[in-house]
Amino acid sequence: MRQTLIKCVVWDLDNTLWPGIASEGAVDSLPEPNADVIAIMVELEARGIINSVASRNDPSMGKLLLNHPMLAGKIVAPQVSWEPKSQALRRIAEKLNIGLDALAFVDDSPYERAEVSYMLPQVLVLSPDEVRSAMNGPAFHPSRLTTEGKQRAEMYRAEEQRRAAEQTFTGSRTDFLLSCDMRLQITPATHDDLGRIAELTERTHQLNSTGRQYTPDELRERIDNDRWLTPVARLTDRFGDYGTIGAALVDKDCGLSYSAIRNPQSAIDVWLAELIMLSCRVEGRGIPAALLRWIMGEAQSKGVEALRAVYKVNERNLPMRLLFRQMGFEVMGEGQEELVLVSRDLSEPLPPYPEWLRLDEGRQTIVGTNET
Amino acid sequence: MKREGFEVEIGARVRSLLATVLDQDPRAVAELPCDTPLFGAGLSLDSLTGLELLTAIRDEFGVDIASEDYNLDSLRTIGTLVDYLHVGRKAKDE
Repeated sequence: MRQTLIKCVVWDLDNTLWPGIASEGAVDSLPEPNADVIAIMVELEARGIINSVASRNDPSMGKLLLNHPMLAGKIVAPQVSWEPKSQALRRIAEKLNIGLDALAFVDDSPYERAEVSYMLPQVLVLSPDEVRSAMNGPAFHPSRLTTEGKQRAEMYRAEEQRRAAEQTFTGSRTDFLLSCDMRLQITPATHDDLGRIAELTERTHQLNSTGRQYTPDELRERIDNDRWLTPVARLTDRFGDYGTIGAALVDKDCGLSYSAIRNPQSAIDVWLAELIMLSCRVEGRGIPAALLRWIMGEAQSKGVEALRAVYKVNERNLPMRLLFRQMGFEVMGEGQEELVLVSRDLSEPLPPYPEWLRLDEGRQTIVGTNET
Repeated sequence: MKREGFEVEIGARVRSLLATVLDQDPRAVAELPCDTPLFGAGLSLDSLTGLELLTAIRDEFGVDIASEDYNLDSLRTIGTLVDYLHVGRKAKDE
């Protein structure tokens, strides 16, 4: 059984998304898409799964596609070129910054399906007839649907606009980031955030320290208890609202403080970050470092001497391991199941926040948000 | 080739990879002292560019730092990274 949620369905065009072969029809127009496929695309988007296109056709068709009245706004990052479909799928995964195993690929051609299955065994490959029944499987059912989930296609489009603006920006990267008007809002989690926190535990992999899954009760317990620091981070920039993109669970009374039993005088006050996770969509603009920096600052301001964290060593969350290295954490010991305990001495100076980021602490200060 | 030759060569290649992933002037990166930190105030590597650097090193040197050095101690400074790759190279030659 597949473990990974499908985040994007990639459609072939000719004889899949629409009947017939577009290049054999009228120039400068596209065939009418299959109503059934459009209905499926709408249903997928309602589940927080986005739609894309991989077609071996003349690249000029890409533009027609994005202006098509029935398709405009429904597809993200379409790939129309002569290259192999496996290449197109790689590019889509890269553009959306999701794993290949989060892609499903639909094509009527057995050759194309075989090519993708062979080159990219992680991708779920389906014929058009198989889509409906596959959608009944758990890989197509995110267990909860959050505001972020329903708006996901919209957020990916904001991200595409941001990338396009970045590519045409002529100044330095820092100047570009300064021009984005990025605001990071960090607030304590409330019950309204439970769904999104649970969703982040399911969907984040690269920037997820442990990959641990929590029951709703376990999450509620941590949010309600003063013993826990449970920040959630929301990001907006001039391209749009990215919603809640990160969260952490920090134990302020983890017992590690008393580990120096033989010599109580040497006991120091420490906090333990049990989980830190961020959406990989926000990587590359200093956001992960800012969230960790904020937690370090909170701890330091309460007189805590060290911030500890656990993380699981694996290939997938290597960005998280790099983040701990970046922020000056050192390994203290290895536990079971590849868990590693790291620590950051808070008497050492804390790194500054990225200069392009405005930090808001409080629900009311954020500007440009369209959610309540 | 003498040991010193290896170090100079690896150092130059590491600096060139750093300049590429960080999109910085290769001549400036070539001049940086060995004790320049890779993260933070030094070269401002982050989780994303760090990942690109590790991939580039794996492709160029055949050394998979992520799985061999799980604490990523080799990523402290330019010098620690060059040393790590140099030792790896020497072990392979012998």
